[in-house]
Amino acid sequence: MTAVHQAVAGAGPYDAVTGQALAWRRLLSGAGYGGADHAAAIDPRLREGFSPLDDLEPEPGDLLVIRYSAWSPALTTLLDRPNPVLLVYHNITPAEYLWNHSAGLAVQCAVGRIQLPAFARRARVAVADSDFNAAELRAAGAPDARVVPILFDPGRRAQRGRPPEGDGPLVLVVGRLVPNKRHDRVLDAFAAYQRACAPEARLLLAGEPLDAAYRRLIDGLVTASGASNVTVAGGIAQPELNAAYAEADVLLTLSEHEGFCIPLLEAFHFGLPVVAAPNAAMPGVAGDAALWTDGDPAVTAELLDLAVRDAALRAELARRGRVRLEHFRSERTGAAVRAAVADALV
Amino acid sequence: MTRPEEALEYARAEAARKRAAGVYGEPGPGGLDESIVSGRPSAELLSRWAVVEGDPRLLYSTRRAGGPITAIKRGLIRLLRQYLADVESRQTRFNIALLASVQDLEHRVERLEETSERGDTAPGTGE
Repeated sequence: MTAVHQAVAGAGPYDAVTGQALAWRRLLSGAGYGGADHAAAIDPRLREGFSPLDDLEPEPGDLLVIRYSAWSPALTTLLDRPNPVLLVYHNITPAEYLWNHSAGLAVQCAVGRIQLPAFARRARVAVADSDFNAAELRAAGAPDARVVPILFDPGRRAQRGRPPEGDGPLVLVVGRLVPNKRHDRVLDAFAAYQRACAPEARLLLAGEPLDAAYRRLIDGLVTASGASNVTVAGGIAQPELNAAYAEADVLLTLSEHEGFCIPLLEAFHFGLPVVAAPNAAMPGVAGDAALWTDGDPAVTAELLDLAVRDAALRAELARRGRVRLEHFRSERTGAAVRAAVADALV
Repeated sequence: MTRPEEALEYARAEAARKRAAGVYGEPGPGGLDESIVSGRPSAELLSRWAVVEGDPRLLYSTRRAGGPITAIKRGLIRLLRQYLADVESRQTRFNIALLASVQDLEHRVERLEETSERGDTAPGTGE
């Protein structure tokens, strides 16, 4: 049996790269490939699925799938192995967002970008999950980089946990609490929306905080914004997240840097309107199925109001969302994954 | 119905109307703007970074029922504080000395560039 091993810098329970590695594993196992998944750092809350990267001992001819979203010394040593490499580029957060908040992660990101050309040149096949990421990968030295989108599994969105409490329009924001997601702007926009349009509106921030200090900073920004009915939920399990999508009236994302933005697809899956800032990979993923803001909190507030109240607009956005979702059907992406793996093994 | 393509213009018009009526204020800087380091870090920021001082509150366990592990980790920091303080102060000493040297070099380059722009004779050439 041909073995395909995946390697990531870090694996955690609410991490998109981890989720994609597990989705690829299910697909690869179904296609008859062996192998295992490894991470340089494993969050103890992740009970299964990953082994330490130090334990990876590939046989000659085994394929190494390196998922690149941050630098790790252990990932670099894989380049010295004689095995074929399939590089999957998930993008790297620019360090400028992190220097003041997490020096260690900022270093990982800064070095990660410096080291990207070495990974790009070494890869037999290089793939990126969005056009935005593929452009960076080509510029880094993989001119034939191809796009293999996120493997989106609707089946994982079926199970419903406990819905958020309360009444009033629910604005949902999904994504790690990290500086590039610009939760400060989210809070400004939501406070404006609540003040001018919907005093009873609720805001749910779902996402793992960078660390305890950053969580305190966000709590402070919530207070300073003057908004009420704000829940900073932290990382939540998929069934509870599904319930939040089902309950929400609109998804809001004002992130400045996204390599893909899976919550856009999740919103489309649940027929939820999206208000977003047209940054990085997001316009390429959402296309004409989102309402794009110019960043002015008042304009964002008015777009939220439209997205919540205008039934015909909501229906049109839901229809367009379903069309966008067709581009990311798991059968289509699965075929692209299998083709990339087969090409890397030739 | 507002078509998605028309939504932004509609929202801008509504925002402008309500702003004129005093419902919305002028857009200000975001709460995180100052913490994002675009371009070269300022001298003030570098001075702040130069001082190495770990925050024990950031040390914790993510395991289920990890409270005792967090307590042990923080206890170890307390037990090792003499050693850690020495390591931190040695690194801080180096950082500050290096920063001072870099700043001194920057000032000297600035003075040389000013001299060069004025067309003055460079000091020490003997002409």
